[in-house]
Order: sequence, then C-alpha cells, then structure tokens
Amino acid sequence: MDVLSTNEIKHGDVVLEARGITKRYPGLVANDHVDFEVRAGEIHAILGENGAGKTTLMSILFGLVRPDEGEIYVFGKKVNFKSPLDAIKLGIGMVHQTRKLVAAHTVLENILLGHPKTGVILDFKKAAEEVARLCDRYEYKLNLNDKVWHLSEGEKQMVEILKALYRGARILILDEPTSSLAPPETKKLLETIQIMTRDELAIVPFITHKLPVVLSVSQRVTVLRRGKVVARLNTREATEQMLAREMVGREVMFNLERAQVERGKAVLEVQNLSVYDEKGMKAVKDVSFSVHEGEIFGIAGVSGNGQQPLAEALAGLRKAAEGRVLLDGSEITRLSSMERWKRGIGYIPSEQRAVGSIGDFSLVENILMSYYYDDEFCRRGVIDAKKIRARAEELVAEYGVATPSVDVLAKNLSGGNLQKLILARVLSRQPRLIIANLPTQGLDVGATEFVQNKLLEAKKAGAAVLLISEDLDEVLALSDRIAPMYEGRFMDILPGGEAEREIVGALMAGIRQKAAEQ
Amino acid sequence: MWEFWVRSLNASTIFTVAALGEIIGQRAGIMNVGVEGAMLFGATISFIVTKTTGSYLLGFLAGIAVGALIGLLHAFFSVTLGGDQVVNGMGIWILGFGLTAYIGYPYTGPLGLPRLPAINGLSPFFLLSLLLAAGIWFFLFKTHAGLKLRSVGENPSVAEVSGINVVRTRYASVMFSGALMGLAGSIYALDYNPVWNYNFLMGWGFIALALVFFSMWNPFLLLGGSILFGALWQVSLNPEALLPNIFSRYIWRTFPFVITVIVLILMSTKWFSSRWGAARPEALGLPYEK
Amino acid sequence: MNIAGYKIKLEKKTSFSGLEAAALSVLAVVVALFLVGFIFLQAGVDPAKGYAEIFSYAFINSFGVPLTINRAIFLLLCTFAFILPMRAGLWNIGMAGQLYAGALAAFGVAYAFGARTNPDVPAGIVLPLMILAAMAGGGLMGLIPGFLKGKFNTNEIVVTMMLNFIAFWVTAHMIKEGGPFMGSGGEGEGFKLPPVLQPGLFLGMPFTIWFALGLTALLQFVFTKTRIGYEIRSFGASPAAARYAGVDPFKISVLVFVAGGVIAGLAGYHYFATVPGLFKIPKNYGDFGDLAFYGIICGLISQGNPLAAIPLAVLFGGLTSGGRFVQGKLQLGFGIDYAMLGVLMIILVAFQFFFRYRVVFKKEKEA
Repeated sequence: MDVLSTNEIKHGDVVLEARGITKRYPGLVANDHVDFEVRAGEIHAILGENGAGKTTLMSILFGLVRPDEGEIYVFGKKVNFKSPLDAIKLGIGMVHQTRKLVAAHTVLENILLGHPKTGVILDFKKAAEEVARLCDRYEYKLNLNDKVWHLSEGEKQMVEILKALYRGARILILDEPTSSLAPPETKKLLETIQIMTRDELAIVPFITHKLPVVLSVSQRVTVLRRGKVVARLNTREATEQMLAREMVGREVMFNLERAQVERGKAVLEVQNLSVYDEKGMKAVKDVSFSVHEGEIFGIAGVSGNGQQPLAEALAGLRKAAEGRVLLDGSEITRLSSMERWKRGIGYIPSEQRAVGSIGDFSLVENILMSYYYDDEFCRRGVIDAKKIRARAEELVAEYGVATPSVDVLAKNLSGGNLQKLILARVLSRQPRLIIANLPTQGLDVGATEFVQNKLLEAKKAGAAVLLISEDLDEVLALSDRIAPMYEGRFMDILPGGEAEREIVGALMAGIRQKAAEQ
Repeated sequence: MWEFWVRSLNASTIFTVAALGEIIGQRAGIMNVGVEGAMLFGATISFIVTKTTGSYLLGFLAGIAVGALIGLLHAFFSVTLGGDQVVNGMGIWILGFGLTAYIGYPYTGPLGLPRLPAINGLSPFFLLSLLLAAGIWFFLFKTHAGLKLRSVGENPSVAEVSGINVVRTRYASVMFSGALMGLAGSIYALDYNPVWNYNFLMGWGFIALALVFFSMWNPFLLLGGSILFGALWQVSLNPEALLPNIFSRYIWRTFPFVITVIVLILMSTKWFSSRWGAARPEALGLPYEK
Repeated sequence: MNIAGYKIKLEKKTSFSGLEAAALSVLAVVVALFLVGFIFLQAGVDPAKGYAEIFSYAFINSFGVPLTINRAIFLLLCTFAFILPMRAGLWNIGMAGQLYAGALAAFGVAYAFGARTNPDVPAGIVLPLMILAAMAGGGLMGLIPGFLKGKFNTNEIVVTMMLNFIAFWVTAHMIKEGGPFMGSGGEGEGFKLPPVLQPGLFLGMPFTIWFALGLTALLQFVFTKTRIGYEIRSFGASPAAARYAGVDPFKISVLVFVAGGVIAGLAGYHYFATVPGLFKIPKNYGDFGDLAFYGIICGLISQGNPLAAIPLAVLFGGLTSGGRFVQGKLQLGFGIDYAMLGVLMIILVAFQFFFRYRVVFKKEKEA
C-alpha cells in the first residue's frame, strides 16, 4: 500500500510475525504452535517436507485459511484476515506454485487485472510506464505487450511478482519458487529477489527440496517437521546435511537401487522426428534416438519443451510431421494408437484423470481400456465380463490398489492409487516399450517409490523404458541414458551413471557452451 | 440494389445483436446454445405486449426483460447448479420453442400497427447494432470491467485470486447476454418481420451462434459476418431480383443454412484454427468450482 | 442449511444405482406434468380433468390408442437416433432432417418405379427397397455431421440444426408447387402410395413396431456387452481417455451418427409410409419434425438406456396425441403438446443437478 512507502520501513523491522499458530484438521495437527517472523530486507526461507505443514502455514499467512489459535502481526499491528483480499490490502503478496495468470492476455493486462486503483477505463500507457519503472529498478527485462503464453516459466513467475509489487506488496510469499524453473532461470530469479531486498522488501520462500537454493540466498531459515518448528537458523551457520537432517528427522541417504542389466537390441528407434503441437508450432524438431531392451532412457526437461508432443507422437496420439519411428525394426510411423498398443507400446500419460483413466467408469471398466481389443477378453466383439473382472481383481490385489471393490468408480481413487491402477493396466500387457510421461508427478513419497521400482522391475524383465520427467533427480537416479530436451531438441545424449547434475541442468536450459567448458 | 442492401443490413442487425449477446456470455466462459430459444421468447413476448398495448416501447422493454430472465435461468443452471452448459442451452431452446408456440398462438398474424420509422428503408436498429458492436468492443478491451469479464472466461481461478467475484461476473454477463438476445428477438418481431407465427425465427438464433465462432469472439469481425449472412438471406428470399431463376424458391431457402455449414467447416479446419483458434476463451463451457 | 435440528447438505454422488436413476427420472416427469397443470389452469381447465381426458383418449379410446402406438414407435426410433450419439457424448438434434431424408428416399424409390401414377408396381421389390432407401437416406443425412465432427471437430449441434432446415425446404421443394413428388390434388402434399405399397397392420399396429422392438434389444446388447458399445461409452465418458486407449474418434463419430440417421430414416418411413390415413408426405410434415424433438426428452430421461426408452416413448406418444385431442375438445389454445415439450425439457435440465448431487440430511451434532 502507498502509505507504507519505502522510507517508513527501516531495515530490520519485523514486518510480518506469526505467534503460536495452530491449525487442526480431523486426525492431524497441521500447524502446532508455529512461531515465525520476517524482517524488512530479509529473505527468510521456510523449509519442510511434503506434509510438514508448509501449505497450511502459507495459507494462514495469506488469509486463505483461518488458524484455530495464534496471532498474526503485520507491520506491528495485530490482524485478522477474512480473505486473501485483506492480506493483499496490508501489503502481502503471494506467488503460487501453479501460475495464476491468464495465458491469453498480455503481461500488462495480467498485472492490471483486479487492481483496486484502476479506473473504469484502463490507462494502459500510464500503467506501462509504472510497471516498466519497476522492471528497471529490479533489473528485469520484460516486454509488457507479450501474451503470457509466449513467456518462459521464469518470466511468468516474474509477472506474478510484479503484479504483487504493483499492488503494493511489501512482503512476498513465494511457494516453491524454483520448482518449475531450469537452473539458469533459477539463478536469475534469485538474483532479482536479492535486488528486491535492497528496497526493504521481505521475502518468504517456501521450499521442499532445493536445499542449495535456500543456502545461497536466504539470511535465515525456519525448518518445519510434522507441523512444528524444529529449527531456526542463520543460513550462514547451516549446511545442506544439517538442513536435511532437521527436515527429515534422521540422516538421509541419497540413493536408489539401480540394477545393471545387459542392454539388448533396440526396441524403439526414432529417426529425425518432428511433431507439431496443437497451436501449429513445431514442438519436436528433428529428434533421433533409440531405446533398447533392459534400458531406461530418460528425457529431462522443463515443462513445455516438447516432451508431451514427443510422447504423444510415439504413442500414436499425434501425427509425426517428419521422420520415422520403428518398433522392433518395423516402421510404425503411420500406425494408429490401437495398432501400437497391440504391438507392445504401453503409454503412461501425464494426466492420470483426464487421459489415463475414465472417472465415471468402474475399476473393471478402466482395466478394460487395455484389454477390450484383445480377442482373449473380447470374443467376436463381445466382452467376456467374467474374465475381465477376474483380471481386474487380480491386478488390484497385485498392485496394492487400496479400494473396497473393483466396482468403485475410478474418480474416487486417490492420485497414488489411480496411478497404481494405470500402471497395473499398462504393465500387465507386458509391453515391449513403456513410455512413462511424468509418472510420479504429484504423488506422495510412497507411491513415487512404488512407481519407480515398477519401472526398474520392467527394465530388469527386459522392457525398454522411455522415462520423461521434469524432476532432474529422478531422471539421474533411474536412467541408463539421459537426453536433456530443450525447445524441441535433444541437447545431447549422455550416459546415465556419469552425467553430472550441473551439466544436464545447463543443457536442459539450452546452454551448450557452458556444458562444454565444464 | 439499394433496396437489396437495405434489407440485408436490416437482417444483419438481428444476427449482430443476438451474436453480440452470445459473445458477451462466451467471453465470460458461459456458452448458451439456446440463442434461438431466448430470441423466440424475446420475439413472442415483445410481439404480444406491443399488440395488446399498442406501445412499441413497452414491447421492446418486455422483450429485453424476458431475455434477461432467460439469461438468469441459464446462469442459474450453468453457474450455480454447475450443469452441462450444452444441455442447459438445449433446454433453453426447447423451452422457448415449445412455450412460445403455445403462448403466442392466439396472436398469430400481423402486428397491425404502423411500421416503425426507417431511414430510406434502413432500420434505425442497424445503427444501434453498430453502436452496440463498438461499445461492446470498447468495453471488452479497454475497460477494467471488460478485462475482468474476459479473465473470468479465460481462467476463473486466476480471476478469483485477483479479487474478482467469478459467480457475480458470470451472472451479470449471461443476463446481459440474454437481454441482447431478447432485444434481437424483439427487433425481429416488431420491426423486421412483424407477423407472428410459431417458430417464426427459422433458425436465425442458430446462425447467430455459428457467427460467434466465425467472429473469433470479436465484435467487429462479427459485424462483417452478420452483413454477409444478411445478404445471403435476402438472396434466398428473393432470388429473382438478383439472379436468374435456377432453383425453386424452396431450394434458395436452404442457402443460408448450407453456407453456415460450409463456414463452420472452414472454421474448424486446421488451417483456420492454427491461425485464429487461440481466440477461443479457455474456460468456455466449463463449470467453475472453487 | 439447518431445519429442525437437521443439517441439510449437498454431497457429490460417488456412486449411482439404477433404481435411483429410475426414481429421479419418474420424479422429473411427474414434476413437469404438475407444472403443465398450471397451463391447464390458466386456460380455465381443471388439470385433473384435462389429464383424465388426455389419458383416456391416449390409452383407452379406440381412436386414440392406435395413434398413441404410431407415435410411440416413431418416438422410440427418434429416441434411438438421439441416444446413439448421446452415449458417445455427441448431440444429434437432426432427427427431423434425417427423417425427412428417409421419407424422401423411400418415396423416391416408389416414384422411380412409377408409383405416383401407376398403381401396379411390383410391391415385392419396391417395398423392401423403400425401407432400405429410407435407411440409406437417413444414414447419409447422419453421415454429414458425423463425418464433419470426426474429421474437423465441427460443432454437431449447429450442423444438425442447419441440416434440419435444409431438409425441411428440400422436402417442400419436392412436394409443393410442381415438385416431382407432388400429389394429384396439387395442394402442396406428396403423392399417395398405391394400395400395393401400403403395408397391412399386425394386431392393429404397423409392422415397423418390430423394427423398434428389435432395435431396443440390439442397442441394449451393444451398449452393455460389446466391444463397440464399450468404445462408444468410453468416448462419451472421456474422449481424451478413449483416444488414449486406442478408440478412433473418427470411426465412433461417423458410426453413431450414421446409425442414428439410419434409425431416424426408418422413423420417417414408419410415419409416412405405414400409418393408415397417411401413406404420403403430408402438408404438415413439419409437425413430425417437431415431434421428433420429443426423442431428445426421452433420450435424456432414459439416461441413454434403450429399455427405459420404451415406457417413455409410449407415455409421450400418448401425451402428445391426447394433448392434440383435448385441445379441440376443451377448446384449449394450439400447442399444448409444444408447451409440454418445453416444460419437460427445462425440468430435465434442472434435474441434472440431482443426478450429480445427493441431498443429505444429518442430525445436527451439539457443537
């Protein structure tokens, strides 16, 4: 807000304070007497695993959720938020993990949307000047008339930060600010928020995994575990191991068992493949690679660099514009998805609910999605109901899908259970090639481990696995070979065991020279 | 020739006004495939009111009001109850088709009042439609309320976090949208073709719906499309005036419908959608739940 | 909301029993008929008396019952023409156009064999050909939206509606003002089929009832037991997931629209070529196109279940024929059947909500 002009806040003033915040949900204390404060000109990170209570705390600080106990002070005054609008009015800005922008509108339109001081008629010229001044101040280049869907993830995030600042935010809450960014964009973001602290802005990033990020920019860090504050440290005194221990409560092993399997003959061969996306842009450009028996081939990349169109083209859901695709030596470039299923391609799509399952169908009928074309289960066009039911019951038991019966509708399964069901359905066909597109996205730790182990098992059994993931650590841990993908191209194909995190990270961001130097 | 164009422009007025209504609703994310139904209500009620009271003004007001009420009904079904918007729209259409056939029947026949004044044959409502198109364009792209409305249609959850009341915006848009459809029906029944007959709109509402897709949700492109269809309609009504007598007049009557189908096909090709497809509001047709 | 110590809450349905669906459907019809009662009141007729007249004419009166049956067969066929695309998530509101096309094709065969002027055509050949032509005509009409939807994803609602108008005017062209099918009377009607082409009745019913009943069984079997039925249903439930599972959207869209069109074509044949008193495309052929919209109502109430469509088709066949009758008898305005159509539709739309939510009453707990 205007009243809180920069001059009135002195460096080191406590601008936001939470005392004894407690929030209970049935069977769970999400926040247990949490104390937290952030000072002007400070970056104070909050660290914690999934389920540690970060989201609840964040929602309380932003007025989305009301605490059961505890008090919040903003600029020294006790406040009682009824909705996020109250928090915004008092100068708190929130940048969510998922982008809250209208993709079809321009940067400027997004920044102006809902601004309380905007007149009936929009004064684009004046607003553009003001926003441009903000950009200059924080040394960030942005074309305000670009449509948001043209921007990179990092730029989109900056638009949200600018939007909050333009609305007068003095305290910025950032939810997982680096999770969808490539390494160079992360660097740029961290630089920018450090410049912002010069203006006595207070910045509170909530972070789950990226410990180096915390260490590199924050002044203080608060660690949450099971709803409680377990540590509050000056970052200078902290190390990565220390933070990890506090977060998890024990020593952490950064290891995943990866069996070496004899690499067999090529199952999938892709030659100079190009694919258009739904907007008519070339999303996959001249990609060539092969995946062999007993191999996991990992594609690492930030979302939107052509992984999705590539996966769809291989699964037969999208036309190949140029190039050839071969399965076990015979060309399948023009074959339908049905024909590809029959020939042994098993596709695990990234969207479990919208694509991978049919919510209004029972589990039996969901299992049927991979069996209805099989003459064993569907004779002369008539489905063998008994047989498919038996198979569904078998698979649900084998994959540990938690459900009262196979007649339950798929939409009632949790994300982890649904993914198990999809996995069960696809893997039970014993595909020659498994295309796993973001197979662990949004899953909890247990389900993630389950899925990863199933992929490793399939590899051991001799299948070829194409793993597409935005989680660099997952790709590094599972893959025998790694292709960093950037703007529709493979930047390189690296052997899995030796690939260094930094190199793959740089290549994912399209930086080639740097990788060469190292 | 002047007469032909005047009639074409007069016909285009009805397409324009109805389709502008649909644009407003769709820009806010609510599709109403029942344009025809809302127009039938507007046409029938305005006709009855004017015929019984002798007042054109009251007729138009009643037509607009009943349109807004139909919009309210559609908003209730689509926003509050969160039902399938296509089903709801079909409901609006069949309700309009069935109920107006019954309500209007005793009033079958001409209005029996002196015609509204015209400028050398050109209906003043044509000028109104131009003003409406310009006004709605300005509203959508130059005002804060228009930006809010478009945001609600593109991404309601984003609009919500920006402090916009999605439900209220959608209600207001759909009611205004219905009011314009009601007005379009009133213009048809009181000015363009003041002779009531059951289902006398003959699919004009569906053509208006198709024009919205054709217009890429842009009021000015819509004007062009409406005038084109107005002209086609005139050709089909009176082919002898323009073209040699190739077909029977019944076959000519099919022409606007055939053209609508052809235009729809062109618009749904890859060639078209890859160039202008992005104009479609992202959240169109999707119910919003917090 | 709290009433008398009970908390009333809406819960999203997670499961759904057939019985519940049937109960809701019946309730929707009852509510709609109740509301139509107000139309009777407004017209100065006691609703109880109005309905008594309608039902006794439709289901007891010896003139009314055959009319009800004719309409029920017609509606059942129109319902199936709507249901097939509906199960695949597509809207066929083009039954009117498809049935005109079927009728035109059937009469086209008769015309080609000279039946317009010559009463002695070889019925053994012409009759089956007429039926096949009706199916082909309707099917071709259905092919247009199906192909366009599958190939270009063209909005099928607008296309089928446009085709209704196109077929309507083409029919007018064929039977009016010197059109080739014009009847000898010259009064804007199609020619009458010669007696040899007028199929006899079976137990007082047109033989097309066998088509309707056979199709009921066939569709029920297809939807519940077969691969193609599964493909149609999964495409209807989630096009993206069905595509992922290998279902070909083009195939499904063409299939359901062509099959729907074939059935609607039969409906056209049924009413214009097998019902005594017609045996021609009448002047008011548009009324039958309007009646076909009741197929949408039956399809929606039955939730796409072919068996459930039978009682509905009989009910609405009776209500519309009875409605027309009381209009004359009780001097109601025109179109009570149209008003009923509108009210039924909007009530159904409102009832969608109850298909998705369940109202839960819970005893209020002490806080």
